[in-house]
Amino acid sequence: MENLDYARLQMAFTLGFHIIFACIGMVMPFFMVVSHKKWLNTRDQVYLDLTKAWQRGVAIFFVTGAVSGTALSFELGMLWPEFMKHAGPVIGMPFSLEGAAFFVEAIALGFYLYGWNKLPETFHWITGIIIGISGVASGILVVSANAWMNAPAGFEVINGEFVNIDPVAAFLNDAWFTQALHMTLAAFAATGFAVAGIHAFQILRNRRVPLHKKAFKIAISFGAVAALLQPLSGDLSAKDIAKRQPVKLAAMEAHYETSKGAPLYIGGLVDEENRKVTHKIEIPKALSFLAFGDFDAEVKGLNDFPEDELPPVSVVHYAFQVMVGIGTLLMIAAIIFFISLKKKSWMNTPAFWWLFALLSPMGFIAVEAGWVVTEVGRQPWIVYKIMRTSGAVTPMPGLKYTFFLYVFVYITLAITVTWLMKRQIRVLNRSID
Amino acid sequence: MLYIVLFFTFFSLFLYVLLGGADFGAGIVELFSSKENRKLNRDTIYEVMGPVWEANHIWLIILIVILWIAFPVYFNIIIIYLHIPLTLVLLGITMRGVAFIFRHYDAVEGASQIWYNRMFRVSSLITPIFLGMSFGSLVSGEIVITTDYAETSFAEVFMNSWLNMFSFLTGLFYAALCAFLASTLLIGETTGETRKLYSRKSAIYTVVVVLLGAALLMYGLVADVIFVQDFLSDIYSLSAVSLSALLLIPLWKAIKEQHSSLTRFYAGFQILLILFAAVNTHFPYLIITSTGEVNMMDDTAPDSVINVLGISLIIGGAIILPGLYHLMRSFSMIRIPENEGEEEENL
Repeated sequence: MENLDYARLQMAFTLGFHIIFACIGMVMPFFMVVSHKKWLNTRDQVYLDLTKAWQRGVAIFFVTGAVSGTALSFELGMLWPEFMKHAGPVIGMPFSLEGAAFFVEAIALGFYLYGWNKLPETFHWITGIIIGISGVASGILVVSANAWMNAPAGFEVINGEFVNIDPVAAFLNDAWFTQALHMTLAAFAATGFAVAGIHAFQILRNRRVPLHKKAFKIAISFGAVAALLQPLSGDLSAKDIAKRQPVKLAAMEAHYETSKGAPLYIGGLVDEENRKVTHKIEIPKALSFLAFGDFDAEVKGLNDFPEDELPPVSVVHYAFQVMVGIGTLLMIAAIIFFISLKKKSWMNTPAFWWLFALLSPMGFIAVEAGWVVTEVGRQPWIVYKIMRTSGAVTPMPGLKYTFFLYVFVYITLAITVTWLMKRQIRVLNRSID
Repeated sequence: MLYIVLFFTFFSLFLYVLLGGADFGAGIVELFSSKENRKLNRDTIYEVMGPVWEANHIWLIILIVILWIAFPVYFNIIIIYLHIPLTLVLLGITMRGVAFIFRHYDAVEGASQIWYNRMFRVSSLITPIFLGMSFGSLVSGEIVITTDYAETSFAEVFMNSWLNMFSFLTGLFYAALCAFLASTLLIGETTGETRKLYSRKSAIYTVVVVLLGAALLMYGLVADVIFVQDFLSDIYSLSAVSLSALLLIPLWKAIKEQHSSLTRFYAGFQILLILFAAVNTHFPYLIITSTGEVNMMDDTAPDSVINVLGISLIIGGAIILPGLYHLMRSFSMIRIPENEGEEEENL
């Protein structure tokens, strides 16, 4: 493998890691403040215990997300100096605002974590809300910078230099809204299901059931609503990509031949050499409809794009299948949860809790798959149709070693954090009901 | 507007050096403490730094973001040629951050604490050393800028610039400054015997800082480091350093009297003076390579970008600074409000 491959792997690995921590750090504060509010309203000790347990989770995930985010802010430049040199000023606006939002979050977190019994109750609770809102704002701002790479705007390229820069137009690029919406919902769905799943598992094991049931309800309520809305947002994204990045859409669907009334493939094995897809389920005309809202619309196939502008098709296609598959699964689970609110007997069956316990990691797998779709689907470009990834990479050789260093450090971190969470739950279960 | 951006650049740098520095220093002080004092230190810094330490480190992100947006060409050189020391800085920041949070938020206080503590202390020392080394190498005159990678060896381009005596001494000097800042800060946060302890430590670290600072300058003179020569012939830099040396007298007095807010003020002001002296010497030529200098004010981002950035920074600052101030006040990081205000104006 070349230096470029290691640079890409390192970026993918560190981003993949950061995304999980950032999502949890962004969404969990909302669970925490709901539980906190219930404690304020009911003075039921269970809610206080839960709030404090979640607060520890928020602190751990916030810090891990913050340090991996700091690393990323350097890595962007360290791995892709040419990209940052030209694109840095253009996409600076969302990044500087993100810095501010992140700062607000850190300040609010300082107040919240250390404010118990020191700050007035309502003010203390509001600092919790601020953590959540500024976290979501940071997420949206960063995604908007990423959206710019898919839908470059707000500048002109003259002799290889980016001139006539309009940072506001770059910020409000064509992709920012659909991407930010999709990612925000994804963060809520993934974290909601992950947290709910962990509590569901505790219920199965018959540990402090009243507490875990309350926790489950709060987390799954957020997750289920997001999971139900996500397909709509996905549809917006698909239609947007069909218009802006037809080659990415074609790769997602492994659609080789340009055709009218194009079929949608579900699953299937991609044979990139012979440009064929085997073992797939075909739904006639569905792709044309999903992409353009018209059963007979023409969908451009991969064969009509220049060879050197094609992303790795199979990776993008499989990742897309995983994302959509899990999305569908979570949507069904969300419906089951809403029905269970009426049919309370469902909640007394182990199968119900097993379902949610097993779904726990699914949301995050979908989030990772989704990022693979959007990032690998953009290759070979780092800025779509403007700058190639190969032209952006650092001249420093030996990226292999930093890549393995990051892998080692982050995997160790991930294992430690998981282990810490297990300890948190154990201690939570031990505290008196 | 460029000057507003420039102000925020150095403002963030100053606050990171000061607040982040005090934070690193707390770990260094703990590393070089006797066993029983370590436990004490651990609890004290949790109380003092806990609410603010994360905010302290965000200044680094702000600094980096401003650099890449407003000074892309300058940033490009830093980020390519200092890849390795910056990676080590990041590693240190990561280990330190997670160790701090693990040791205070692990639900079970068991044997793993030993590891968190070790990790925290060691990375607290290593990170500022590499940060200092990175700054040192920018002005060391050892950076080799090239596009011909076939003709130059890996070591020449990516190692020698930072792996040299001058950079290393700069790193040590900054680490000592951090320890000095932390012990001085902690004087005000403790009482009785503990307070005496930190007063003593603060005095010791002051001596270490002075010695290392002198060693750094002497080495620079002997080894003909351009930056040091210019530093010693720049009247403003020289007077700033002299003033900070003079301030040692009232500082010692304040340390002796265990005066909580005065010591803090003098220490902060000294950092400001030292930073001013270092930056002023060569501003705006803040990279000195083996063959020439790089002016950070050349090839700045176009006005449209600078304007938007400046406005964002002003708005962001208007939201963040009062919030941060209130946070530090609430948890008594800031004792005399006027002092912090003065430091900001002086910058």
